[in-house]
Amino acid sequence: MMIREGGRLLTVTEIDHPARDIVALHLADPAGDPLPEWEPGAHVDVQLITRHLRQYSLCGRPGDRSGYRIAVLRERLSRGASAYVHSYLRVGRQVRVWEPRNHFALRPAERYVFLAAGVGITPILPMVMRAQDAGVPWRLAYSVRTLEEAAFRDELAQLGGEVTLRATSTEGRLDVREFVGAFEEGTGVYCCGSPGFVEAAEEAVAEWPAGSFHVERFLPVPRDFGPCEPFEAVCARSRLRVRVDAGASLLTALRREGVRVAGGCLKGVCGSCAVTVLDGVPQHRDSLLTAGTVDRMHACVSRAVTPEIVLDV
Amino acid sequence: MRGLLGEPDPETRLKILDHLDRNCLIFIAHSPFCCMATADASGASDCTPRGDYPGFVRALDERTLVIPDRLGNKLGDSFSNIAENPHVGLLFFVPGVVETLRVNGRAYITDDEDLRTMLEQDDVRPEMATLVEVDEAYLHCGRSLLRSRLWEEDMRDLAREIPSPGTFWADAAATEGLDAERLDALFDNGYQELY
Repeated sequence: MMIREGGRLLTVTEIDHPARDIVALHLADPAGDPLPEWEPGAHVDVQLITRHLRQYSLCGRPGDRSGYRIAVLRERLSRGASAYVHSYLRVGRQVRVWEPRNHFALRPAERYVFLAAGVGITPILPMVMRAQDAGVPWRLAYSVRTLEEAAFRDELAQLGGEVTLRATSTEGRLDVREFVGAFEEGTGVYCCGSPGFVEAAEEAVAEWPAGSFHVERFLPVPRDFGPCEPFEAVCARSRLRVRVDAGASLLTALRREGVRVAGGCLKGVCGSCAVTVLDGVPQHRDSLLTAGTVDRMHACVSRAVTPEIVLDV
Repeated sequence: MRGLLGEPDPETRLKILDHLDRNCLIFIAHSPFCCMATADASGASDCTPRGDYPGFVRALDERTLVIPDRLGNKLGDSFSNIAENPHVGLLFFVPGVVETLRVNGRAYITDDEDLRTMLEQDDVRPEMATLVEVDEAYLHCGRSLLRSRLWEEDMRDLAREIPSPGTFWADAAATEGLDAERLDALFDNGYQELY
């Protein structure tokens, strides 16, 4: 059972249903204190009373520090958290929430193209709000299976921009390439959705220059990194040398030796288990970091290129 | 027995349900631990502990529970019993609650892919799961836990009187080379890996 230190208890002040199979939780400090600031694209780690730890995008109004809003999809094969939130979590109860983190930051642009599928609307909605407030032109394609599954439709309608809502069960798949159009200097494309949707978006912007496309994934990018080789992790702070066998993750090996490292998705998507690299070369097997990053790594899936890697843990 | 015990209050029988009502579902959704009693065809019984994240036993509906098979001693006593005799008795605990929830039913072993996915924890999928079709469910009164003071912090001083698991093993095995210290190290090592 993953017990993580820190965080703060927030009270569930309201639960509503922005779409079929999606509940939105409104969270606030029990004493009414302002919550830490966040930017569109940010997510928080949320731990339920059942100790399930999950990541949810903040989908309230950016700048509103009186409360957070997150949205939770009812998953058919829930591993526990989604089922608990939908069936048992009640107003007045508390959840533990850590500081917002952002791997999907909205960068300044002359115009935005937003692409969301299903519950992937959650990080996109605050981006749309921010773009609207800043007076930056934007377009949104929002793909859902059926219209009942489209969340925050009223809020999107009030924003008044150009929203293309697509119900794939009746209208077929969205032609992302057509929606995105040809590359135009100054356009930022932001995408969040299922692996299939993200793939279609990546194909649509394949010819665009690097840096114009930004994505947040629910699942790791499927890639083949070849076999896992054993390596040694030198823990500078704990003064330990930990052997990481081919069959074990760095995170598991560290925890076995009593080194405390936070865990989250364990799939290299959420960034909860970032550790600082002091020496040696990490091999990033996660979906967040690329070979250019040498000073940190995600311990759940990433390994070392060098036989030894020195960590600030 | 009846002469000594007397008859239960008529109301007591009324609390016995043939399914899991909302209250039972809430209890199970917050329970990190239960005991499962099984018996073989001859009636010889085993009672084994099961524990994980609160709510680790999942209710698929008001008549069906699914229990993940986590790393254990690999003896498989419960499974071989269930293969001969499906009747199981479950007793659920919630820390701090003196009442326990009793659920009786018939169990089946499954390796259904969807169920195994649902029961995945810390990225590890159980190989098997136990499905229980519920026949009876009811809350058992809290007198045993009140008398035992089971959840009281100061009761933990009892723990240091208990021989280590390696001592249990070494004494029972009474075999050259199986000494308690070495076996305790095996336990310590094994306990690092919970899934």
